[in-house]
Amino acid sequence: MRPLQATALACQRLPRIYWALFLLVLAGLVSTPQFGTAANLANVLEQSATLAILALGQAAVIAGGMIDLSVGQLVGLITVVACMLFEAYPAMSLPIIAVCLGLAAFVGLVNGELVNRLRMSPLILTFGMLSILQGAIFMLTDRSVGQAPPVMTFLANGRIAGIPASLLLVAAIAVGAWYLLQRSVFGWHLLAIGNSAESARKAGLNLASRTRTAFVLSGLCAGIAGLLVAGRLGTGFPNAGSGLELDSIVAVVLGGTLLKGGRVSVAGILGAVLFLGVLSNILNLLQVPAFTQIVVKGLIVIAAILVDRPREAAAA
Amino acid sequence: MTTSVQSFPRTLRLPSLDRAAVWIVLVVLVLLAGLVSDAFFKLNYLTNLVRQAAPVGITAVGVTFVMLLRGVDLSVGAIVSMSAVVCALVMGGKVDNLWLGIAAAIACGSAVGLANGLLIAYGKGSAFILTLGMSIVVYGLVQMGTGGTARGIVSPGFRETLNGRIGGVLPVLVICLLLAVAVGIFLQSRTRFGRNAYLIGANPDAARLAGLPVSRVTVVAYMVSGFFAALGGLALLARTGVSGTNPGAGMEFDVLAAVVLGGTTFSGGRGGVGGTFAGVLVLIIALNLANVAGLPFAAQLAVKGAIIIAASAAYSWIGRRGGGLGRE
Repeated sequence: MRPLQATALACQRLPRIYWALFLLVLAGLVSTPQFGTAANLANVLEQSATLAILALGQAAVIAGGMIDLSVGQLVGLITVVACMLFEAYPAMSLPIIAVCLGLAAFVGLVNGELVNRLRMSPLILTFGMLSILQGAIFMLTDRSVGQAPPVMTFLANGRIAGIPASLLLVAAIAVGAWYLLQRSVFGWHLLAIGNSAESARKAGLNLASRTRTAFVLSGLCAGIAGLLVAGRLGTGFPNAGSGLELDSIVAVVLGGTLLKGGRVSVAGILGAVLFLGVLSNILNLLQVPAFTQIVVKGLIVIAAILVDRPREAAAA
Repeated sequence: MTTSVQSFPRTLRLPSLDRAAVWIVLVVLVLLAGLVSDAFFKLNYLTNLVRQAAPVGITAVGVTFVMLLRGVDLSVGAIVSMSAVVCALVMGGKVDNLWLGIAAAIACGSAVGLANGLLIAYGKGSAFILTLGMSIVVYGLVQMGTGGTARGIVSPGFRETLNGRIGGVLPVLVICLLLAVAVGIFLQSRTRFGRNAYLIGANPDAARLAGLPVSRVTVVAYMVSGFFAALGGLALLARTGVSGTNPGAGMEFDVLAAVVLGGTTFSGGRGGVGGTFAGVLVLIIALNLANVAGLPFAAQLAVKGAIIIAASAAYSWIGRRGGGLGRE
């Protein structure tokens, strides 16, 4: 009985999105034979890596009741900068990666500092930053430039012992995010701030410090995602990140994290990213026209948020 | 019941500096623009500027009501696109179809708003994600409808009338924008719907307990948002003359920025259409300043971002009252 009870408990605790994912995978297996092949499944995982990393970073900000709209363009900026730098200095792959991650973290730091010092809505601030980063990208280039360092190409497409390298990267980041957001003091404080910034302040928490860290984490994740995108594309495409900020928010929310802050689930986010990846994969395999796919994607987003309702209401 | 309803608006009107903040920012920006460009204070230039603001401004009027209710409507960009495309398709270049096209566009926009409202009021999902999903659906439907290429021609007279100037001076679209703002201000301050929107936004739980029709007001607010977005789409169509396939892309963010700049924050219950109008002007002048300064497109994007941040920061600095976190 013990294992059974344990399983039941685990199922109860499993974020709801996994039920949808389960049903979707079943549907995929039934509807098209190509879906279940190892090559295809590995492909889905690889394709989902960028969004997973981006969403985990976004989760840190959302957990604290804020939002980061700048991550999409930050991905684009890092992609372009990394490829341009590598073309100019082909021998310096690792320093270039370090510079890119530093730049991304710095943009996050600027976001966090500005939210703290200007006391403004993170949504408006990061929306402004979105525009600034977009401008920065187009000042650098308006077409694909440079070349991705082989390290990044390997990270995006390579295998270690048969496992996609990007999957290992996501796993490492997910464990880090899980620890930081759901097990560390930083995470508790962040969730407390997300629940009620006013109460958290009265309880003596250092809001400014937590806010700054959350945005730096988000920027850093966007940097890693940008490097991954550069690796996948092989070149610096200026529009590589547009729209990704919204995808990341959708993934975070579908995964059961409250948009108003105060609750976060790393496992849920991973499930939501997989759900979105599998969905688009199945639609592609079934050769559903692109525009129809867009409609289906939108309907799924709506349906998923409605299904998630009772739990959200209970938690609220 | 009566006393609470009567006393509440009074506390809402109290923070005068709060409301004035966006206007102060606007005046500063206008002066700045006057310094940068000699042409700025010419009548033609000013009216042209406000005409440019019409699509975003008209749309922002509707979104203000949703934001008053602590909601948000990210689908307005897609509704603007849909409205322009549907109108051009229905018109088909024929004079006879002029009003049919306009009516079809407005009906479509209001229908999407109704769907948003019903899903949010009775589905109780996050408005941010629901309207985002709706925008994806509407965008997809528009693309399916056009097949990905610009189709549909506006009726003769449509663009000539709406994009023209009365007496060669006052652009018709400016009048449309002012009308939309006037209707918005009437709705918010003279109707039961407007009063309920403020009360529910200020404290939804208390409003529910007091027996206010929270769900109904929510549905109406999103419908109003869809309705004004459809009008915004018509204004955009009048300005450009061609529908394209996705002319409203990204407009939801401009609208959102304008509304928040105008003092209607995400916490609901505060702000209003007047502030939104000022917010729209701030946004448009900011963009125009970057343009007048002769900056390349890329630099303009960066400046636009910086100005949005600076204006919003200035606003929150002016409007801050005692120990508020200013996060929302």
